[in-house]
Amino acid sequence: MTARGATTPRRTLRPRTLATAAAFLTLLLATATATLTLGRLGIAPAELPAALLGDAEGKNAFVLERLRGPRLIVALGVGAAFGLAGTLFQSVTRNPLGSPDVIGIGAGAGAGAAIVALFLPGLLPVPLGALTGAVLAMAIVYLSTGTGFRSPGRFIVAGIGVTAVAQAIIQYAVYAIERDKASVLTAYVNGSLNARSWEDAATIWLAVALTAPLTALIARDLTVGEMGDDTATALGTRPARIRTTAVVLSIILSAAAVSAAGPIAFVSLCAPQIARRCTRAPGPNLAMSALAGAFLLALADLAAQQLPLFTTLPVGIYTMALGGGYLGYLLLSEWRRGAL
Amino acid sequence: MTTRTPHPSRGARPGATRLAFSLALALALLAATTLASIALGNLHIPPHDLWNALTGNGDPHHTAVLQSRHPRTALGILAGACLAVAGTLMQGVTRNPLADPGMLGINAGASATIVLATAYLGVSGQHDILWWSLPGALAAGAVVHLIGTRRGGTSTVRLVLAGAVLAAVLNALIQAVTLSEPQVFDNYRFWVVGSLAGRDFDILWTVLPLAATGLTAALALGRPLNTVALGDDSATALGAKPARTKAAGLLTATLLAAAATAATGPIAFVGLAVPHLVRALIGTDFRLQILFSLLLGPSLLLTADIIGRLVLRPEELMVGIVTAFVGAPALLIAVRKMRKNA
Repeated sequence: MTARGATTPRRTLRPRTLATAAAFLTLLLATATATLTLGRLGIAPAELPAALLGDAEGKNAFVLERLRGPRLIVALGVGAAFGLAGTLFQSVTRNPLGSPDVIGIGAGAGAGAAIVALFLPGLLPVPLGALTGAVLAMAIVYLSTGTGFRSPGRFIVAGIGVTAVAQAIIQYAVYAIERDKASVLTAYVNGSLNARSWEDAATIWLAVALTAPLTALIARDLTVGEMGDDTATALGTRPARIRTTAVVLSIILSAAAVSAAGPIAFVSLCAPQIARRCTRAPGPNLAMSALAGAFLLALADLAAQQLPLFTTLPVGIYTMALGGGYLGYLLLSEWRRGAL
Repeated sequence: MTTRTPHPSRGARPGATRLAFSLALALALLAATTLASIALGNLHIPPHDLWNALTGNGDPHHTAVLQSRHPRTALGILAGACLAVAGTLMQGVTRNPLADPGMLGINAGASATIVLATAYLGVSGQHDILWWSLPGALAAGAVVHLIGTRRGGTSTVRLVLAGAVLAAVLNALIQAVTLSEPQVFDNYRFWVVGSLAGRDFDILWTVLPLAATGLTAALALGRPLNTVALGDDSATALGAKPARTKAAGLLTATLLAAAATAATGPIAFVGLAVPHLVRALIGTDFRLQILFSLLLGPSLLLTADIIGRLVLRPEELMVGIVTAFVGAPALLIAVRKMRKNA
């Protein structure tokens, strides 16, 4: 174990990483301020500092404590969790497309939520159904590939199969349920941040707080793991064990995010890529990915709340459009290099 | 998995006996499923009464029930044939064993234009919907083909991912429109689950010309596709025009998929599964593949429809849901045969 210090990449903070982090933090603060101040119910910018210090009254207190405050905190937590989950997964699969999204975690969560809403209304909370569905979907993908998560091609195709079944379940539920509930269910299975409470915020931040130290512990080994199993073993790590740990952490994070906000698409796919391209640092950029995820989701939610075009859309629609466009770009560029 | 796909081989045809046997089997299966589709359903009719009703001297109520199952049976045959032949053409042209109208986003394309037209152009009625499904299907097919196959080479996973991405983007568009227009949402949520129920003969007559054109073109494409399957260089040396044949194949497949989608709503996995069954049965000669897809596609779709009618009696499970549940496990089994580093 001691011998590897000389050869593994050292975790020095590079200026570029610091600059990117500062830029992301600034953007994040700007987005958060906009979320709280814009629109008909927005808190006037002059009153914001006082309101944040606990001096809010009347409308401002309602908006901050009930309406937009918890929603923003949930968005940041869910975004960070998705960012972390995505970067862990992509590091393990060594594939920019190997995100929990692509292999059906979101669709599985949606199907779980749909089954609960249709067959067990009131008996089980919908988020619990989503959690169960997500974990089940991952288990099916893991078991059906025969090689776990080792070969990206296999688990992507298996994930598409699992997604198809999950989608069939969702469609049946949306078809069979009453119209008003169908609309609510559709919004949920696309991922929505409407009407979030402080309990949701607590759930997601607890999950992030519990998993973040563990991810930090395996960060260095993950970077080594990206050099290939043989190199990693020679350098004294245990690739199989690290991989399993990372996948389990990734699933815990995604599942917590999904149960707090529904299956919001593509944040876990985009955030790590944006982080990696901005910092140009090797290995999984854990902190930066979390930051990028939080920023992306807060921005998408700002759009969902304030864009005049479709005011009632769930935030998942915006991230889906964003991620779809990004994925298209990624496909084109990867393939131009002949990498895919 | 990428390279082992439909390989050409006029030499590798099954013997005459096996061919005759397979053909008889396929025809018998089609006849049996057609009969079963008329005989089985929500209302259970005992065999004796069934025979009387079929021969025209039974209980008038039974006769009426059986007649009500005629349109969905006919539609199932047509849609099954279209989807299966479309899948065979796509898998042949792209040399990709996972190509099918659902996987490549063509169904999503058709759905998207139908939703846009109903939401913003006030389109309604089966006829108009058929025509609006075409531009979306064609555009989606073209985009996936462009992203997935430029510079000649295609990778299985790449093409499938391109389809998944396109479907995700189109899905975002569809959800955005349907969630902001409640009336459209209400129609859409019933249409998007592919189903044979509640359709009459009108829709059949509407899509029949398009479907018949596509199926005829597909049968004519068998021989050129065999030549193209030898590889672009060999095919060119033999005087064929591979690019033109491939384009014709994809165009035909898209027309067939659009016709089926307009008639029944999107139905997954029939186009994926049938070509695999057919190749296992009679080999890789495209003339035979297309013919057998034409016969076995309807059998598969009707079987799925019958299962859907029986499992939840007196409720019904739509055929699109049954095919997903039957098809996805088949896909998962196929995954295990992929190369490990694909």
